[in-house]
Amino acid sequence: MLIPHPLLGLRDSSEFTYLGDAALLDRPDGMAEGAAARFHDYVHLRDNPAGIHRELWFHEQGDRSWLVVTRNTVTHEILGAELAREARLKGGAA
Amino acid sequence: MTELATLTALGADAPAQRHAGALTITENAGLALASLALRRGTAQPAPFGLALPGPGGWAEGRGVSGFWTGPGQWMIEAPGRADEDFAAALAAEAPGCSITEQTDGWAAFEIVSDSGDAPIRALMEKLVNIDAAAFGAGRATRTVLDHMGVFAIRRADDRLAIIGARSSAASLWHALAETAARLEGVGT
Amino acid sequence: MTRLTGGLIDRSQTLRFTFDGQGFAGHSGDTLASALLANGVRLMGRSFKYHRPRGVFAAGSEEPNALVELRAGARQEPNSRATVVELFEGLEARSQNRVGSLRRDLLAVNDLMSPFFAAGFYYKTFMWPRAFWERFYEPAIRRAAGLGSLSKEPDPDAYDAGFLHCDLLVIGGGPAGLAAALTAARTGARVILADEDFRLGGRLLAESAPLDDAPATDWIAGLEAEFASLPNLRVMRRTTVWGTFDHGIYGAVERVADHLATPGRRVRQTLWRITARRTILAAGATERHIPFQNNDRPGIMLAGAMRTYANRYAVSPAPRVAIFTNNDDGHRSALDLAARGVEIAAVIDPREGVRAQGDYPLITGVVGNAKGRLGLTRIEVVANGGSRWIDCGALGVSGGWNPNVHLASHHRGRPAWDEARHGFLPGTDGPAGMRVAGAASGQGSTAQALASGAQAAQEALADLEISATLPDLPQAEDAGLNLHPLWHVPGKGRAWVDFQNDVTVKDIALAHQENMRPVEHLKRWTTLGMATDQGKTANVTALAVMAELTGRTIPQTGTTIFRPPYTPVALSVLGGGDTGAHFRPRRLTPTHHWATAQGAVFTEVGQWMRAQYFPRPGESHWRQTVDREVLATRKGVGLCDVTTLGKVDVQGADAGEFLDRLYCNAMKSLKVGMVRYGLMLREDGHAWDDGTCARLGETHYVVTTTTAQAGPVYRHMEFARQCLWPELDVQLISTTDAWAQLSVAGPNARRLLERIVDSFDLSNEAFPFMACAGLTICGGLRARLFRISFSGELAYEIAVPARHGNALMARLLEAGADLGATPYGTEALGVLRIEKGHAAGNELNGQTTAQMLGMGRMVSTKKDSIGAVMSRREGLAVDRRVLVGLQPVDPADPVVAGAHLFAEGAPQGTGTDQGWISSACFSPHLGHAIGLGFLENGSERMGEVIVAANPLQGQSMRLRVVSPHFVDPEGGRVRD
Repeated sequence: MLIPHPLLGLRDSSEFTYLGDAALLDRPDGMAEGAAARFHDYVHLRDNPAGIHRELWFHEQGDRSWLVVTRNTVTHEILGAELAREARLKGGAA
Repeated sequence: MTELATLTALGADAPAQRHAGALTITENAGLALASLALRRGTAQPAPFGLALPGPGGWAEGRGVSGFWTGPGQWMIEAPGRADEDFAAALAAEAPGCSITEQTDGWAAFEIVSDSGDAPIRALMEKLVNIDAAAFGAGRATRTVLDHMGVFAIRRADDRLAIIGARSSAASLWHALAETAARLEGVGT
Repeated sequence: MTRLTGGLIDRSQTLRFTFDGQGFAGHSGDTLASALLANGVRLMGRSFKYHRPRGVFAAGSEEPNALVELRAGARQEPNSRATVVELFEGLEARSQNRVGSLRRDLLAVNDLMSPFFAAGFYYKTFMWPRAFWERFYEPAIRRAAGLGSLSKEPDPDAYDAGFLHCDLLVIGGGPAGLAAALTAARTGARVILADEDFRLGGRLLAESAPLDDAPATDWIAGLEAEFASLPNLRVMRRTTVWGTFDHGIYGAVERVADHLATPGRRVRQTLWRITARRTILAAGATERHIPFQNNDRPGIMLAGAMRTYANRYAVSPAPRVAIFTNNDDGHRSALDLAARGVEIAAVIDPREGVRAQGDYPLITGVVGNAKGRLGLTRIEVVANGGSRWIDCGALGVSGGWNPNVHLASHHRGRPAWDEARHGFLPGTDGPAGMRVAGAASGQGSTAQALASGAQAAQEALADLEISATLPDLPQAEDAGLNLHPLWHVPGKGRAWVDFQNDVTVKDIALAHQENMRPVEHLKRWTTLGMATDQGKTANVTALAVMAELTGRTIPQTGTTIFRPPYTPVALSVLGGGDTGAHFRPRRLTPTHHWATAQGAVFTEVGQWMRAQYFPRPGESHWRQTVDREVLATRKGVGLCDVTTLGKVDVQGADAGEFLDRLYCNAMKSLKVGMVRYGLMLREDGHAWDDGTCARLGETHYVVTTTTAQAGPVYRHMEFARQCLWPELDVQLISTTDAWAQLSVAGPNARRLLERIVDSFDLSNEAFPFMACAGLTICGGLRARLFRISFSGELAYEIAVPARHGNALMARLLEAGADLGATPYGTEALGVLRIEKGHAAGNELNGQTTAQMLGMGRMVSTKKDSIGAVMSRREGLAVDRRVLVGLQPVDPADPVVAGAHLFAEGAPQGTGTDQGWISSACFSPHLGHAIGLGFLENGSERMGEVIVAANPLQGQSMRLRVVSPHFVDPEGGRVRD
């Protein structure tokens, strides 16, 4: 696959390692009330859609940026990619 | 100065060199390297007068050069200064930045063509999934080469540098030398 | 004997070759198949199941029958299709799948037993008596099964891999592909033209019809001259594009040297990964046949192939041939063969009202049978309500042409049935960026192919905002097929559909009867469409037969899924050239050179080579060496290269806060100049990796990890930095390779280091346990010193820039000669830490928790850190297993890592399992084996005798539960 890196253009997916659902950006506050239940969901529950999926890729053999890539898991069409730190600063995976 | 002797990344006393047709591959054991990363609030410096390049770029300055390695991060090169504490020298040029010594983390190989850019492109085709036509002088990137992560720097139309992890220098040298030799064998 | 005039062979070059030991001659430009036919050889193989005599069926890579073994010795290669083997001087080939000679195959008896070998036979036969399956049936079937044999020697040839990028990839160099490449290349766009054949031209090479009143080869030659002048066009012959992958990525194999006797200095094949912005699939079409009883006689082939042999290779399979066709194209074969002096016995055509196109007998009817076991002698023609036999030595069969839709269907797209053309065309949901042109898109006349190729190229480039002009194309024939479908000739006997897998119409009927009706079930039940040709000449016919049986239409029946590779690809080339010692990268430590000189034995630790132990003369067993190294370290001073453990440089105003969130234990409170042990948890609460965190400055730390987890921990740290807490001011970079790190451990460690540091106070007061500092050594070399201990002894780790590591190790060994300085490797490293009770990878296996490791209290409740919340969940809290030491009651007994622990006298099962042994070794200090393990309520069971069971090897040992700290339990030595 080719990943459209926002700074570097199209890159071979073999330069990346794949983590999974970008929901991982929304890590719960461990010191807040009800943290245990929220962490259970955070760690174990995934939507796993057949279709549009926002997911985390690490450009390990590239610039070592984490990216949030929007990809169709059925067709592999990639609709876009942004720096994860920007996605996180904007407000997580939503 | 220390009495402790040094070894090259290939474990020898002197840097290695190989000729294969139009290409010459030379181990650049004298290359000093240090990483420069911006901290929050620091302005982008111009160490040794070097204008730090943007994503995918490599630039030359006075006795140093540098390539972009990530957002707010560059690798600074200083040819011939590998036996110094180059990181300390760089830190003085870039106050407030995070500087890390990298010289001995890497093995650098300089590849020179004696017939223009065609042999460089032919070599790149066999080594890395980077479009050589879009990788002209002044471009640099990390990528995968034979299962190893390397930096590739197009220093000129007829010059390419490949910088890989020091611990796998022998594997990288083998990949470069073998590939260049095979190109020579085919004659194209 | 059956050589004709003309053709595209070079008669000035005669090439000698052997087939089944017999010598023959052919010419340059021949394939093995054409050369054999030219020598009158029609029998080329034996069929898969029934061992029926078979001849060549096609003229290209779709060949199902003529599979041969090429070459001998280590380069022997089975299942080579004779139709694509370029003849070379000295070629050796052998037929396959026979016991005895090709003419007298002993396994031909299978044909008599054919009722036992019908579709799915292995589900229905060879079941009784039960014992016979393993003893007789299976070995016999296994010996008989398969096609071809391997040399079992390593492949001596070299292969390599490469990457290409282009604006337009044109797959196929026939009329459509050539027109496309010409149109595109003239714009200056970057074009790749790939064809599996050794010549460009595709079907043009097989046809006699002129282009602009001249032979097609003239036009092709003109194109090739222009192509050679265009640097932006790369023509790749002998290159099969075999797979369509995502985003315009294609897999291709270039057969660089297959056509040479030996590759010499070249690689034999290259695996190319082509990234194309746009693609044109101009892969042509493959002819299909019409099954009838006994239609597999040697000499029966596709009519189009017969024409190829005549026009391109100047060969006729026999002096007198017949044609059986349901379309106009079959007649063309008769015309071309007749023009070259071959006698046409008849053209048999079921279409009413069709007229002969030349001076040959035309019979309106069908072929019902064929005779001639080792080579066709006559065919039965059914016409006018009767039947008669006609003598002929070859029969060309044409049932129509199937567009080669494969590469357009690799993304699971389904081809679409075109009723007017009676064929499947590429579906509309094909791979992004791909257009199909020529016969592959149902535009099969030469004129249509040329025009559609140029048109497709123009459109593809327009996508890229490149303007292309349609070139002047030569005048060419524009005839249609005028096909009337006839999917098979009904009859009593066996009519073959898939020749390679020996599948007949009866097998399809049987599958239908046994309710294996969906095409995917049909395929698996009958094996139709499998193996080297993937049913290229059979699939469409088969599903049409199944459609007939089920009463559904062909589009309702559909096709099976198309998968790469289009034609077989050798595993050697998929490996991309990395073999032997260079199969994968190897990482060497900075002291590798020195360790080799010391005679070290090395071990693989992931990609690293680490010194395992350093045998001395007189030591014959590794235990002697390792015991010595361990004793020497605890007595004097040991030296070990620990560079492989990951090192991450952490800087920034918020570095301390960042590390506090990564480690489960407090890290923000670490003072400058000190080191702290750190445990990282996984977010699910399990222990993950441990190491040390050294604070070299206010905003400067160095984190260490285990060797195995260096990469994953770094990745995780970047994840935390960028994805979880991007607001923190933190910068990271790996420094694992940059610093050689040596462990100096033992009571004499301080004294040894004093001899190399440049006036640095190493006293216990100035540099206590867990201190760190930057300093210089050996006359000004910058270094870092960490007072940390894995061994339980007074110990330090000293780091210098890696280029000095080798010399430093040698210096330490020399300087410490009188202090008992001894190199030690990973084995002794392991013994030392087990004796001390330190957890390592075996204990941090992803299934344990801080609690189990005895570090439960380390997980801070005063802050949030990765994994802290989940580490407190009930599911983990109920696990009562904790780390203990174990030693055998009988000192001669071993302690076996992996053994499971049970209460003495308890039955041994999963319900009574109380834990396991994670690490074990022989302790030279105690003189017996010891181990570490996890035991339920272990801390309350000190002194108890339990049982360790290793049922795989029938072992059971009695062990006593003890403290995991076998040596210096108070920890006084490290603080000395």
